[in-house]
Amino acid sequence: MITNIWLGLFSGVAFGFIIQRVGATNPNKMARAHLMVDSEIPRFMILAVALSALGLLGLQATGAPRTVILPTSLLATGVAAVIFGIGWGLTGYCPGTCWAAAGEGRMDAVFTLLGGLAGTAAFAQFHEVLIPALYLPTSIGPVTLADWLGSRALAAWVLAIGFALCAWAVGKLWGRRGLSS
Amino acid sequence: MNEEDKKAPYWNWLSAALALAGVIVFIFATFGPPASSSGFVSTVKGLLQVVAPDYVESKAHYRMIPGPGSWLMAFVLGMAMGGVVAGRTFKIPVRDVPELWEKRFGPSKIRRYAAAFIGGFLILFGSRLAGGCTLGLSISGSTQLAISGLYFGVVIFGAAMVTSRIVHGNGGKEET
Repeated sequence: MITNIWLGLFSGVAFGFIIQRVGATNPNKMARAHLMVDSEIPRFMILAVALSALGLLGLQATGAPRTVILPTSLLATGVAAVIFGIGWGLTGYCPGTCWAAAGEGRMDAVFTLLGGLAGTAAFAQFHEVLIPALYLPTSIGPVTLADWLGSRALAAWVLAIGFALCAWAVGKLWGRRGLSS
Repeated sequence: MNEEDKKAPYWNWLSAALALAGVIVFIFATFGPPASSSGFVSTVKGLLQVVAPDYVESKAHYRMIPGPGSWLMAFVLGMAMGGVVAGRTFKIPVRDVPELWEKRFGPSKIRRYAAAFIGGFLILFGSRLAGGCTLGLSISGSTQLAISGLYFGVVIFGAAMVTSRIVHGNGGKEET
């Protein structure tokens, strides 16, 4: 238990440091990413997932790391993502970056953190109503690409190559508006 | 390129992605799927346990996430500490009101903080409904090849791109 806390703390420090250094804790840089001007953050995120998927495949070959596949609820996951996206576009922070940004000394990140605590409390209050109403009826279960493609290794490589291509495409598509004007 | 980017010694996206993937794989090896919105639940649970322990016990959402003495809570506190270290060793000072925001809405801190609070409310309400955030669902989920993570990731980016354009108007356009 106490080991877990040290591991969590260490992992958090490393994670927070890296996302600050790439500029993901800077809401102005995040807004420029959303406006398709600055491609650094999206390419960073997409490539990190591609590499992590291959890394996890390696871990699974040598041991049994704990994995948790969340179900896909067509309605709830989609509605939640739209609500999340509106908030993300508005503040420029997400639930992870606002902690590191608050540590960095950004006052608006502190307010996003406080708003997040309020949003969490509000959702927890209505969990018993919202989950049966929105989440469960349209849930297709914890499906993965591996289920669809029939092999975990194949699926991980398909995802990694697909994401690497996305990172390349983002680099091509983003920044055009800035250059042409 | 704007002024800030010229001065800012930000890491290149490729090396940063390598470093982050290393941390994510380390987290999978030592704990399990990384998550950050769950840390909010642990925090609120810890606060409410002091003032209303019966209420916490009665709510399903608090029963499903561990309280403050957990990896999840340590991780978000660690991120704040990582932010402190990174900020102290970084060349450019932080701003409380981002440039693009100021261009559109002026220098009022109150207005920016109010919007940041509302944005924070929405990202956590959405995360808790979906079961995770950018990290806990989109990044963790996609790394584990989960369709939920891929679906969530695409829609949050799309919605944020539309919202950002409405919020910032033409502010994102370079002047030169």
